[in-house]
Amino acid sequence: MTSRRRAFLWVLVAVLITLIFGFYSINSGQTTAVLAGTVRAATLLVLGAICGMICERSGIVNIGIEGQFLMAAFSAFTVTSLTGSLALGVFAGIATGLVLGWLLAAMAVGLKVDQIIAGTVINIAAVGLTSFFYDRSRSLGVGKYSPIELGSLADIPLIGRVFFSRPLLTYITICLIVLVHIAMFRSVWGMRTRAIGEHPGAADTVGIRVLRLRYFNATLAGGFAGFGGAYLALEAVGAFSRNMSGGRGFLALAVMIFGRRSPFGAYAAALFFGFATALQNQFQLNSTFDIPTQFVGMLPYVVTIVVVALSGLFGSMRDPAALGQTYEKS
Amino acid sequence: MTSTWRRLFALLAVFGLLAAACGSDDSDSASEAEAETVDFKIGLVTDTGKVDDKSFNQSAWEGAQQAAAVIGAEVDYIETEASKDYEANIQLFLDDGANVIVTVGFGMGEATIAAANAHPDVLFIGVDQGQWGGVIPNLAGLIFPEDKSGFLAGALAGMLTESNIVGAVLGTDLVPPVVAFKEGWENGARYTNPSVKTISTYHPGGIDVAFGDPEWGATTSRQVIDQGADIIFGAGGSTGNGALIEVAATEGLYCVGVDTDQWTTVPEAQPCLVTSAMKLIDIGVASLIADAYAGVMEGGNSIGEVGLAPYHDFESTVTAEMRATLDEVLAGLTDGSISTGYPLS
Repeated sequence: MTSRRRAFLWVLVAVLITLIFGFYSINSGQTTAVLAGTVRAATLLVLGAICGMICERSGIVNIGIEGQFLMAAFSAFTVTSLTGSLALGVFAGIATGLVLGWLLAAMAVGLKVDQIIAGTVINIAAVGLTSFFYDRSRSLGVGKYSPIELGSLADIPLIGRVFFSRPLLTYITICLIVLVHIAMFRSVWGMRTRAIGEHPGAADTVGIRVLRLRYFNATLAGGFAGFGGAYLALEAVGAFSRNMSGGRGFLALAVMIFGRRSPFGAYAAALFFGFATALQNQFQLNSTFDIPTQFVGMLPYVVTIVVVALSGLFGSMRDPAALGQTYEKS
Repeated sequence: MTSTWRRLFALLAVFGLLAAACGSDDSDSASEAEAETVDFKIGLVTDTGKVDDKSFNQSAWEGAQQAAAVIGAEVDYIETEASKDYEANIQLFLDDGANVIVTVGFGMGEATIAAANAHPDVLFIGVDQGQWGGVIPNLAGLIFPEDKSGFLAGALAGMLTESNIVGAVLGTDLVPPVVAFKEGWENGARYTNPSVKTISTYHPGGIDVAFGDPEWGATTSRQVIDQGADIIFGAGGSTGNGALIEVAATEGLYCVGVDTDQWTTVPEAQPCLVTSAMKLIDIGVASLIADAYAGVMEGGNSIGEVGLAPYHDFESTVTAEMRATLDEVLAGLTDGSISTGYPLS
């Protein structure tokens, strides 16, 4: 990152903080409610974005995140409702995600199927299977994950409510973001992952086993989406309904691109999307403007297009060179 | 055929004859046996919600099943995956020779009118489809005064709220019944509690997603709670269900369901569910199908019934005084002395 861009980022952060505290001093209740809604809406998106990022950094396009969310939400819901244990539900969600991640790898890496088609297969299968097996008389049986206040941290005005009185899975997500960021940019695994996504041939010549790592990464990434699905069913909603992921798996891809395929970037982007949703709700709740809700609802997408287009123009955002290509040892 | 099988078959035939002979004495089962052979087909096309959405489509489907059971007709449904499939799904039932086709949801209004005009020999029932553009003799639009239903629920909410803030998390304003529920709810709350503050929000998406997004419903519900609302109306398929379940996660808050008695359909919301603002869709659909079977179904608008669901665990929360007020409100709404503030266009 150039020093100029770094300076720009810091200015942006400073402006944001000033704005937030400005609004907080005017209306603390609403500011807190909007920011809490922002963090909440961002959680699922960032988990999907991390899944997409790990895949894409290793050269695999994963548009099956939506299906991974949905299937994982379904199995998390079903297992919790059968056993009465939220934790088992989360494990079931992660396991489902891992299996689907492996399936994606088996198709895209092993069988060298077109990667877009492989992802689409997962999405379509997820809608069909979950609709077919969904038993509408089944309910969760236990309450969903409820907020845990982190001692005195939760008493800090604004920040305490927004970040430190959250349910368990949100805390885990925030830890995962930091962990994956460090792993991706500071560890041997991360370096190798980026290598096979940029130039698998070169990676192969230095002894990285490209196909094996791609298999591993796609499976691992699926685990993150699976965790996201469990979050959706067991923390965000507390029930399952058909097609409940509602396109967030695709939105996660936009978040990933917007966030420059880094976990911190993705979280910033996810927060931005979450903020747009919370803000448009707030406009309506206050009846501030009489503009169509759909207009505010589309703003984040418009901004994404603009940002992606602009960064393309300046050449600062670029796909991994081997993205979407199958690799064959020559 | 082996001799054992032949003997079994003969035995079966004897039993069958015996059963028939016994049956003929009993007039009830005779009419049933007759009803079973009725050649009458009912088809139901759902909106983009599902037939098990625990609300609106499910209610219509139950009504169709009830009617079919009474008549002894065949009944089947098709779920619409995307709004572009409305025509195709109606056509499937037309090709199948259905006598009555029930289309569920405001969104299917245009497709239903087109189909009714093209097939005058088939009867159509459009749930939530007001027929304002002229009467088509073979198309009955089953509509409900949702504003009255919402008004009753709002009147209760106005009396129950302690924070003096009532919230609503809604499907989309692209669908008039949802708007009617909202306006009725807000005006009802103001009617019993003039100082109440009402905060409401619609889903920002289109018809395709607005009723199937429980995560948005839950997150938004929390945002509304964070601003002091202590009773929340969740109206909009599984989006609204998400809102109800979120309210249930915090103790001491109330929530109000929609369309059907959501006590049974969303058990997760029971800790907060005081009542539901109901549209008696099943009864409306069943009686229209019965009319259709009897050949007396009339085209144009048919107004269904609305009301509040039982209070279940909250029987003691809703005091006798509140009930008396609700009865007054209901009487006022019925005789027109109270206006919901929402015009039935």
